[in-house]
Amino acid sequence: MTRKKAHEHGEQRCLNILRQLSAYIDDELPEDICAELRRHLGACPNCEVFIASLRDTVKLCRQHEPPPLSAHDRARLRQEILRAWKPEARA
Amino acid sequence: MARPAPRPPQSPEAFDTLYREHVDLVYRYAHRLCGEDEAAKDLVQETFLNAYRGLRQFRGDAKISTWLYTIASRACLRMRRKRKGAPERELSLEEFVPSSEGEFRLQIPIDGLTPQQALENKELREALEQAINKLPKKYRMALVLRDMEGLSAGEAGGIMGLSERTLKTRLHRARLFVRRELSARGMAHTDRHVHEGWRPKETGS
Repeated sequence: MTRKKAHEHGEQRCLNILRQLSAYIDDELPEDICAELRRHLGACPNCEVFIASLRDTVKLCRQHEPPPLSAHDRARLRQEILRAWKPEARA
Repeated sequence: MARPAPRPPQSPEAFDTLYREHVDLVYRYAHRLCGEDEAAKDLVQETFLNAYRGLRQFRGDAKISTWLYTIASRACLRMRRKRKGAPERELSLEEFVPSSEGEFRLQIPIDGLTPQQALENKELREALEQAINKLPKKYRMALVLRDMEGLSAGEAGGIMGLSERTLKTRLHRARLFVRRELSARGMAHTDRHVHEGWRPKETGS
C-alpha cells in the first residue's frame, strides 16, 4: 500500500503534523494551530489513531516505576561511597 | 524572590543526610537511564562520590535534586560500561512517518485500563523497558527526565546543558521511537490473544 493511498495528504503535510504532535499532547501549541490540528485529526482517522498511541506511550512512561533500592543495598552503597571518599579526604 | 536552596553542609553527618534524603531519587533516575540494577548502583556510587567531592563548590542556587540530576547525567555519559543498547546516533523525524496504513493504526492496547494496570502486564512492561533502553543515550535522557522523572522541559534542558527547544526536539523523537518500538514488537505477537500476552490493536477496517 502506498503512502498516498494510506493517507490522504502528502508526506510533507505528514511531517509537519508529526513534528507538532508532542507539543500538541503537552498542550503547548498556540490555540490557532491547536484548532487546525484538531480539525485535521477529526478528518483523518489514521492521524487520530497515531496520536492516541503516542499519548498512550507517554502515559506508560509516566507511570513506569523501576524496582526500589533494597535497604541492604542502600546501606552497602553508603559504606562503599564513604570508603572510596576517605582516602581522598586524607590526601 | 525565591530563597536559594540551603547549602549542603560538608561534614560526613551532612553527607549522610544528603544520601538518606536523595538516594532513592538518584537510584530511580539511574535505573531508568541504565535499565538494569548493577549499572544503576554503579551510577549511584559515582554520583554521590562526585557530589561529596563537589559539596564545597555547590553554590546553593539550584535545588539539590537538580544538582544531583546534573551530576548523575554527566556521570552516566562518562561511564564506559559494556552496555547493550543502540550506538549513539541521531534520530530523524522522517524515519517516524508511517509508511503503511497498518503502521498508522497500530495501537497500544490499554483501553479501559489505567496505565498502572496496563504495566502489570509483564510483556508490555518489558517491551517498554526494552524500547527505552534501545534509545540512543541523549534521547533516552531527555525522555527519562521529562516523561519519567516529571521535570519541566526547562529543567531537563538545564540538566542536559541544552536549550528548552533542543530538549523538546529530542524528547519528541524519543517518544516517537518508543511508540514505534512498542507497535513493532507487538506486530510480532499478532497470533496471540491480548489476555495471554500483549499485542497491538488495529482499529477499524
